[in-house]
Amino acid sequence: MSIEQQYRTRAKELLSSGEVKMVIGYSKGSTPDRRRPAFISTPEDVETLVLDGACIANLSGYLVTEGLLSDEKRVAVFLRPEGIRAINILAAEFQLNAAQVEILGFNTEGNEPTALSGSKVDDFAELIGTLKGIIPDTAGEELYKKLEAMSPQERFDFWQSEFSKCIKCYACRQACPMCYCRRCIVDNNQPQWVNTSSHTLGNFEWNIVRAFHLSGRCVECGNCDRACPVNIPLRLINRKMAGEVLEAFDHFAGSSQTQEPVMASFKKDDTETFIL
Amino acid sequence: MSEQFEPEIVAFVCTYCTYAGADLAGTSRLKYAPNVRIIRLPCTGRISPMFILKALQKGADGVLISGCHPGDCHFTHGNYHARRRWMVFRALLNFIGIPPERIKYSWISAAEGLKFADLINSITEDIRKLGPFEQYDKLIAETEAQASL
Repeated sequence: MSIEQQYRTRAKELLSSGEVKMVIGYSKGSTPDRRRPAFISTPEDVETLVLDGACIANLSGYLVTEGLLSDEKRVAVFLRPEGIRAINILAAEFQLNAAQVEILGFNTEGNEPTALSGSKVDDFAELIGTLKGIIPDTAGEELYKKLEAMSPQERFDFWQSEFSKCIKCYACRQACPMCYCRRCIVDNNQPQWVNTSSHTLGNFEWNIVRAFHLSGRCVECGNCDRACPVNIPLRLINRKMAGEVLEAFDHFAGSSQTQEPVMASFKKDDTETFIL
Repeated sequence: MSEQFEPEIVAFVCTYCTYAGADLAGTSRLKYAPNVRIIRLPCTGRISPMFILKALQKGADGVLISGCHPGDCHFTHGNYHARRRWMVFRALLNFIGIPPERIKYSWISAAEGLKFADLINSITEDIRKLGPFEQYDKLIAETEAQASL
């Protein structure tokens, strides 16, 4: 039985037994190579679920939709390892109760999805442990290496040309499972920290603050990168930040649901080579 | 001979240590470079990275952030949190291409008036060597220009 069929059956069981009220998965998209998130709440509809190599979006963000989990009922969701890490982070930040999340775990190697065994977030602890320090998707690695080797001025020029394309649509924020603030810093206008117009300067501010707020929290699922309508390589900034917190604080985001958020904790002997 | 460049430096300091240290420098009649503009905050933990970005956008050539030595925070651990934040923020600015040398960090206690005066002198000299911060100039001009329709 294919993994797609296997998970359809599992989803049907979960829904008809009433164990979960909804299954969040993938269905056919508008083009053959795209998948659309599906929110299934009746057992009959599970046949529309699709699971293949094109299912790359991280669906964990839908779980923090206002009111979805407030009735204490459970929801099943299709997740790749990055998505499972995202659940850990959301639980550690008290945005959801991980016990309410039934995980239908899978990974895609090449074009074939493979099943991950386990259903609760803690079942995947061992798997997540083996992923520490590994970049989930090495897309853009060549450019990343090039950027690392540049001088700050060259990097500034690079980002200036990238950010000048930004239209401030905030699709990156919308797509990110970690951007759940009801009032984002860019929506504040007293004081107005971030320039609202899509001038390059305002775009710099926005992208810097976004990356900063995601440092130590980003799981590098690539949702922001794929959502960007002007193809700014946003994931490279996040990759840099993830590498930085791993190196400086040995923090691998989403290791467990009790992991302390890196920016809300400290050690007395944190490195401070730069302080005069 | 052209006049030498006088950098403008914005200092975000915590009220319990560095601000008191600056006060001590003043009451001790220590002379230091007049290039620094001090902004007093309750704690280094109160310093948002947005402050630094705003200062650079509004024409600062350098930024100083200073607070209590580790272990001395009035709020017990505000400076430990701040330290982590800067560690990450520095790396981020560097990756974006804003030279991290323009942003200085220090621990200065209320008793270190002399250290404060010396530090202001030395960072003013450092920033003077780096020259004015011009990376943002074009971008600021863009925000002020009339939209072409």
